[in-house]
Amino acid sequence: MTMVLLTGVTTPLGTALAKALVDDPEIQQVVGVGIEPEPPTELESNAFVYECWDLSKERNIRRMLFGSCRERGVTHVVHSAFHRSPRARGGRIHRLNVESTRNLLRFCERHPTIRRFVFRSDVEVYRHDHLHPTLLREDQPLELSTAAKQRVRDRIEADLTICTHMGMSSLSICVLRLAEVFAPESGSQLHDWLLSRIAIRPLGYNPMVNLLSIDDAVAALIAGVKGEAQGVFNIPGYDSLPLKRLAELAGVRPVALPGPMLSPLYRWRERVRRTEFTYEMNDGRFHTSDLLDGTRAMKELGYEPQHGINFSAVKQQRRLTAFRRL
Amino acid sequence: MLSTDDRVFAEMFFRDAGHGYDEFGFHPKTARRGIKALAPLYNSYFRVKSHDADRIPKEGPAVLAANHAGMIPVDAIMLSLDVFANTTPARWPRASMDHFVPLMPFVGTFFSRCGAVAGSRGNFGRLLDAGELVTAFPEGVPGIQKPIWKRYQLQQWRVGHCELAIRHSAPVVPVGIIGSEEQWPQVGRIDSIKLLGAPYLPIPITPFPLPVRIHIYYGEPIPLHEDYAPEQSDDPAVLAAAAARVKDAVQALIAKGLEEREGLFR
Repeated sequence: MTMVLLTGVTTPLGTALAKALVDDPEIQQVVGVGIEPEPPTELESNAFVYECWDLSKERNIRRMLFGSCRERGVTHVVHSAFHRSPRARGGRIHRLNVESTRNLLRFCERHPTIRRFVFRSDVEVYRHDHLHPTLLREDQPLELSTAAKQRVRDRIEADLTICTHMGMSSLSICVLRLAEVFAPESGSQLHDWLLSRIAIRPLGYNPMVNLLSIDDAVAALIAGVKGEAQGVFNIPGYDSLPLKRLAELAGVRPVALPGPMLSPLYRWRERVRRTEFTYEMNDGRFHTSDLLDGTRAMKELGYEPQHGINFSAVKQQRRLTAFRRL
Repeated sequence: MLSTDDRVFAEMFFRDAGHGYDEFGFHPKTARRGIKALAPLYNSYFRVKSHDADRIPKEGPAVLAANHAGMIPVDAIMLSLDVFANTTPARWPRASMDHFVPLMPFVGTFFSRCGAVAGSRGNFGRLLDAGELVTAFPEGVPGIQKPIWKRYQLQQWRVGHCELAIRHSAPVVPVGIIGSEEQWPQVGRIDSIKLLGAPYLPIPITPFPLPVRIHIYYGEPIPLHEDYAPEQSDDPAVLAAAAARVKDAVQALIAKGLEEREGLFR
């Protein structure tokens, strides 16, 4: 009997995962956790229960796990709650991103019914460096530079916090480092990059990027829930293509400008238009190709990307965003 | 002669990652344009002559290890074109780029589209596992730094290609390239000028490469993977012995080529 606790259920990925878990005959019940008072409307099912908790508070995690989760007999936890804005910073954000992960894992280890912990990490944790292979394995260096944004630093800290428990915990732990989930409201920097009519990239560079669809991300997380394998796994997406081709597919005019101009230009744009795209976070991958090597996930979890991105959806999203700005 | 017939390109081995590119950025359409543009250089300017090209494996992984020289990688380009011209179905070898090349604007991207990959173990291991033919220049940057008076004197021979060949069960094909070391002679270099990420600024004798005839000699494939187990690929003594074997084979091909050559331009 598998009962799943899913954090971050109100995000597009969380909602899609909850729906897939609810439809899975092997899953008895899904407990979705979010900070919003109401659950997503599309998640109406007897097999789904929504609970509103602020995970940045330790006592809330304790009450949630040793209250309703114990009563329901939750066996698996999928932790995907993370603040997605690159602009977000400060102690509260850190508590949600890192302390909640630490506390959740700590309490799960003491929990009488929870057996497996799946953590959704991200490709952002890796350092971009031309000296490394194009296909990043799980042991590649992490982006530990002091210039990294809080979002990146928090992701790394949370990821490493989980990794320190591996092999020493009563739980079976699985960390999935997902390629960039290319979808709106998912924290995708490239998606935000393409929400303007003109996408500016560095002149003379056209690196390969790899994108993960929500469907494949869901498939990977379900493989993580159902599998027994422990460790860190890279989850690449189906679409590997050059940056310029990506812009063209999304119906955006790619414009190449000398690299040093991009940082001030995007900073200005970020301030004036309040866009989520931050060039400092993408400088590295706008110059060098970094893709995830998913060999380990394929061997141990049986995951293989199968669903491509619907690039035409980006055009609709762009119109919607332009309308909202008006 | 290098054929630029479209049927040859259609049969070429390529693993599409979904959008007409492979995961390293190789784009056969760009490579095809590049091959067509460079065919006159191969056929008429450098008049490349191939010797024992039937020793290139028709299929499966293999490492082509060659001597290296020249201001721009004419030897790597001519070797790739020669392999393409002399294999059926056509094989397009994946050349290694030194680490600074992918950082060079336009050049890095163009080379990637033409199938070159940054020379790291991870990249080459992946290509060999996929059954690709890869080229390695174990002399590295010291090879291209050689002044004209050190031509055909192999510099320090790195061991990485042997390590990969043993670990990924691929034979090593020694290659001796004659003519490339005289095609664009350097008289010196300025180490303090690192234009576009290049390690130095070369000072050539002539403003453009000389039309020296290039001869490419292929040696018998060396089955290192049959002599050593994959776990021995970490043993420095094994790697040194294997690399010395490949180096000797390349040096012998160079000696043979220089002996048989009737003149710089013939």
